Amino acid sequence: MIRIKKHSVRDAVDGYIFILPWLIGFLGLTLVPMAATLYLGFTDYDMFSNPEFVGLKNFVKMFSEDNRYWKSVRATLYFAFFSVPSKLIFALMVALLLHNKRRGNYFYRALYYAPSVVGSSVAVAVMWREIFKPNGLVNAVLAVFRLPSNTVWLGDPRFAIWTLILLVVWQFGSPMLIFLAGLKQIPTELYESSSIDGAGPFRQFFRITLPLLTPIFLFNLIMQMITGFTAFTQAFIVTEGAPLDTTNFYALYLYRRAFENFQMGYGSAMAMVLLITIALMTGLVFKSSPYWVHYEAE
Amino acid sequence: MAKLNKRKERVKTLCYHTLVALLGIVMIYPILWLAGSSFKATDELFTRVSSIFPANPTFDHYISGWKGFGNISFTIFYKNTFIITGISTIAVVFSSAFIAYGFARLNFPFKKFWFACMLSTLMLPIQIQLIPQYLFFSHLGLVNSFTPVILPNFFGKAFYIFMIVQFIRGIPRTLDEAAEIDGCNRFRTFFTIIMPLCTPAMITAAIFAFYWTWGEFLMPLIYLNNPKLYTVSLALRSFADPSGMTNWGAIYAMSFLSLVPVFVIFILLQRYLIEGISTEGIKG
Amino acid sequence: MRKLVFLLLIALVAMPLFAGGQSEGGQSGKDEMSIIWWGSQNRHDRTIKTIDLYMEENPNVDITYEFAGWGDYWTKVTTMAAGGMLPDVMQQDYAKLAEWVDKGLMEPLDGYVDKGIIDFSDVEESALSGGRIGGDLYAVNIGLNSMCIVLDVDKFEEAGIPLPDQNWTWKEFKEIALEIHEKLGIYGMGHDLLNEQMWKALYLSNGEWAYTDDGTQLGYTDDSVLEEYCNMVLELMEAGAVPSRDVELALYHNKGVEVVAMVNGDSAMEMMWSNQLTALSTAAGPNRNFYMTHLPRLTKDGPSANYLKPGQFLSVSSRSKNPERAADFINFFTNDLGANEILLAERGVPIAAHIREGLKPMLEPASVIAFDFITRVSTDSSPLPQPDPVGYSDLLQNVYIPEFWDPMAYGLISVQEAIANLRSGAEKILTRN
Repeated sequence: MIRIKKHSVRDAVDGYIFILPWLIGFLGLTLVPMAATLYLGFTDYDMFSNPEFVGLKNFVKMFSEDNRYWKSVRATLYFAFFSVPSKLIFALMVALLLHNKRRGNYFYRALYYAPSVVGSSVAVAVMWREIFKPNGLVNAVLAVFRLPSNTVWLGDPRFAIWTLILLVVWQFGSPMLIFLAGLKQIPTELYESSSIDGAGPFRQFFRITLPLLTPIFLFNLIMQMITGFTAFTQAFIVTEGAPLDTTNFYALYLYRRAFENFQMGYGSAMAMVLLITIALMTGLVFKSSPYWVHYEAE
Repeated sequence: MAKLNKRKERVKTLCYHTLVALLGIVMIYPILWLAGSSFKATDELFTRVSSIFPANPTFDHYISGWKGFGNISFTIFYKNTFIITGISTIAVVFSSAFIAYGFARLNFPFKKFWFACMLSTLMLPIQIQLIPQYLFFSHLGLVNSFTPVILPNFFGKAFYIFMIVQFIRGIPRTLDEAAEIDGCNRFRTFFTIIMPLCTPAMITAAIFAFYWTWGEFLMPLIYLNNPKLYTVSLALRSFADPSGMTNWGAIYAMSFLSLVPVFVIFILLQRYLIEGISTEGIKG
Repeated sequence: MRKLVFLLLIALVAMPLFAGGQSEGGQSGKDEMSIIWWGSQNRHDRTIKTIDLYMEENPNVDITYEFAGWGDYWTKVTTMAAGGMLPDVMQQDYAKLAEWVDKGLMEPLDGYVDKGIIDFSDVEESALSGGRIGGDLYAVNIGLNSMCIVLDVDKFEEAGIPLPDQNWTWKEFKEIALEIHEKLGIYGMGHDLLNEQMWKALYLSNGEWAYTDDGTQLGYTDDSVLEEYCNMVLELMEAGAVPSRDVELALYHNKGVEVVAMVNGDSAMEMMWSNQLTALSTAAGPNRNFYMTHLPRLTKDGPSANYLKPGQFLSVSSRSKNPERAADFINFFTNDLGANEILLAERGVPIAAHIREGLKPMLEPASVIAFDFITRVSTDSSPLPQPDPVGYSDLLQNVYIPEFWDPMAYGLISVQEAIANLRSGAEKILTRN
């Protein structure tokens, strides 16, 4: 009994020593600006005059008067709903494809990581418009297959968001790399011994690879969810929220309200709602994780 | 029979390479386009946009782009970026791994609370925090040097911490316990057992950290007030003015060039991902 | 190995303690001043050289400068202003000026003009009035501009259409656009005919303006002028004589002068600011012939739809510790021929007459066209209206585009509905002023 207690005290002390660097950074650098942002949500703040406390006014306006707010919620949910799973599945598939000792994989990985490296440069925006323009590459390919090929992808309220979904799925490099590192970590002995037991590749995949990859999958899922809900750059550089606000993502709208319309209070209120939403969804995923995430250690 | 198997294997390999290479072309096409465009003559840039191959290749954009602004050339921007990115990457990877061990292996009061706090830092869009952060940092006297850009990396970052936590949780606990029975304290366990075992995770983190710091522009934009301190990504964004005249050729040339270091780092580091150290270690 | 890692970690943790805190410059006893502007590489180069020239002529002055691209610029200066750390001199924009003055961020400059630090003896009042808010001068115009229609002369010849008179009307415009489209199969006119500049220009040529002088409500009562215009544009879109809204958004809107349809010969007319022709003609390549003319108006002998607009300003921060030096620098920018020979009218046509004359022989063809155009506009234009009121960005982004322009151009609502939306939305924002 006493031993256990002693052990846990040591654990607590060591634990705090290990997380100390983060704790210092959080309390010293991050907490104050974060708390300030949350407070500003309850104020009218144009960034130059002193913030003026207005209670829930910003939230009332957001929920009941602002059409564009709800459009941005819809656009963001739509975007996250389609882009997050596609990106994850694609990343996982490619990681599995490239996780073997075939010649050339070294090279292919660089190739597949390339789109993620171009990131958000202006060049990407120009190029994306080029590919999706009415007489661009996409329509040319569709014409070859005799499919309708006169769609104005970036100007059509039905499709514009899909070009952005494609853009983020195309930049699947980071989750792919994380999956690859995860696959790397699975001990080869496990495969060897199960081969001896006569397990085929499919059984191995479902009995060994997938379960042991779940911690990494959890990480990728949560990170992609957060990135999906806070998506900004793609819309900012390619579509600017158009057409008809169908790509006016939450974070973009929030930024515009705050910086371009001098409504920092309103923007902060929007940010607070976003934080709470993401936190709840992340919490749900964590709550569900004991049922599907397999930790080697526990 | 063996011959048939060998042929089957060969067909399989061929199919594999065709598939992977075809997909690879789709992946790399935009970069080829960027590279091609950077060698096009100025009038060709807009009259022959979709073509990958320049009609009259020219190196001019690289020369005019590298000159930068006034007497501040890209030599300076690259130097700045290498300093910032180099220090930040090393700092954030090691500090994050250190912190991650605490979260992954040790039980301490309020662990879940702190972990939630850590993740929540990712959930507030950075744009909205700019002004409070700027006011706070300038209060601390941190504005107009590399410090506000580099310093936060020494305290770990949520993304990397969380990632490495997940990797450490995949390492069998028996290894730690064995080390502790051998008389290692927690720090020795971390440095001698855990850190080597999560090399793939740390390498991955290093690739991301390098790339993200390299491309980061919001923090440099706000905190670097002297063009001699500007980073490459900030300089790239200073080329364009939609209402005036923009030297697009130079943008393409410098954008393409700015990808090179990121690629080099990726290629250098991914070797370790392939070789991997973890499997051998686990035998113990 | 372990020791090495330990040492490395310690070194890393200690590093920021030494790396930070090297603030540059310091107390050199020099007269210090700072400036910030937005622009492209070309502008940065020219402005930096101009600053160097100023420091050469005034060896006791030390100027620190910063620059950024257009989008980043406003994020940066807004943050700086919030922190009370604006540079002494900043480049300002006509659409933002009123808001910045309203927040008390800009220093009134009349005092420095009276003291003779800034010399406007060679500048017409009309070139200055854009920088006045409520009668006080807050910003000095550093480049005259006017909205214009650029014509591709070769396309007009090909279609056998004579170039329009400078007092042409929207009716003539419509016929020309349709005729070019019929004969050549290209757009008669490029994009953005429904943008907010045209809305304002329309009422300007009706002898009115979009807002009242105090900026508390819309400045016109007759919505039918706008209705007729919108119907015309929709008709042109329908006929394919101008890009439809989806194409406009996908290819042209806010994408830069270099990608307008005219560059590839896909349109015969484009609407733009006069200083943008240089960029257009560079992108289009050699052997092209462009001409610049006034915006069409409502009636042939009615008021002009054009006004001379300050392209950009220089303003002094109200927190400036050295406003006299800042004012002197602005004077240098305005009146020094050497400086302007470096700047070469890249921001627009200079306001001082002797500078305009002095520069003429040095200009490239596209700039000459713009200079001539500005000269013509200065004798045939409406007086400069009040700057856009406080709440303009709110009005534009949250009403004009999402409630009026977009749904109307996509055919989701009728022209009447769109106009009603614009009126109610605008009045809601403007009455706050």
